[in-house]
Amino acid sequence: MSFLDALFGKRERSSDIARDRLLTVLVHDRVKLTPDMMEQLKAELSAVIARYVPSVDAGAIEVTLMRGEAVDHLKADIPLRRTSQKL
Amino acid sequence: MSRVITITSGKGGVGKTTSTANLGAALALQGLKVAVVDADIGLRNLDVVMGLENRIVYDLVDVVEGRCRLRQALIKDKHFPDLCLLPAAQTRDKDAVTADDMIALTNQLRAEFDYVLIDSPAGIEAGFRNAIAGADEVLIVTTPEVAAVRDADRIIGLVEAFEKGHPRLIINRLKPRMVSRGEMMSIEDVLQILAIDLIGVVPDDEQIVTSTNRGEVAVLDRSSRAGRAFAEIARRLAGEDVPITVFDDNPGLLNRIFGAFGIRARGSER
Repeated sequence: MSFLDALFGKRERSSDIARDRLLTVLVHDRVKLTPDMMEQLKAELSAVIARYVPSVDAGAIEVTLMRGEAVDHLKADIPLRRTSQKL
Repeated sequence: MSRVITITSGKGGVGKTTSTANLGAALALQGLKVAVVDADIGLRNLDVVMGLENRIVYDLVDVVEGRCRLRQALIKDKHFPDLCLLPAAQTRDKDAVTADDMIALTNQLRAEFDYVLIDSPAGIEAGFRNAIAGADEVLIVTTPEVAAVRDADRIIGLVEAFEKGHPRLIINRLKPRMVSRGEMMSIEDVLQILAIDLIGVVPDDEQIVTSTNRGEVAVLDRSSRAGRAFAEIARRLAGEDVPITVFDDNPGLLNRIFGAFGIRARGSER
């Protein structure tokens, strides 16, 4: 770790980068979703969610593939902005 | 009941042949009758890893094409009388045998051996499909590196599509020091991605190079950490419940990671 790394915060560990890259690329390998299709899916997903939950943070949706026992799971993590609410 | 186990990986060079040779020897050390089969037609290597390259008279293709009996092609190992090698042909290619040929061959071998270990070629084509054709179970070898894990994932899908059950994973060439520095994916990282049962972890070990130079398997060398890891995997293969040991880079230091037999990631969110 260089002095600059220490000053500006540690860089991400390469092992974490590798793992995250694999989790992403394997979505495409397994489900045959091209990156364009994936972006389209996320955009449409956020549009649907937004009809019900306006506070969806469209740009921050994460879609991952998890391998289960017998089936794979396409999982979407949909962050919702917290808005101050008048009670 | 005899068991036919194919060792495959997708990616080349991750340790299929080394694993096949060492697991075969470790099982033979347990007193079992073992046949190891080199299914990498055209690029044979199991013979040279075991130091039996000078003893080849007939090979797998000779057997399949009827030029000799199976017994004539089987080579007894130098160290273990109950360990036999069926070498691949070197001057042919993967089209020389069919899946049905391999099924017939493994059925013949079942009659004489407790375990038949098949060393698969790399790739996903006919060579791989032939190697798993007669298998009851499959072991997948990977290293904790991006390309190997990606290929292993593809192979897992194919093994399940060919209805060979749930494959089990060998993580080979782990370097615990690099893992603790965050420079190599950990066992948990790999299992999170591949989500199959782990049958063992083998450390990166220079003694693999030297023992292969000599044509001897690492399990013969008590000081070889990789050899000890393969011996543990053989015990698990035979049904023993052995906790996964991670052999540290530093000889003499052992890290025991706690976990039940068959550590499995369940796609947990982080």
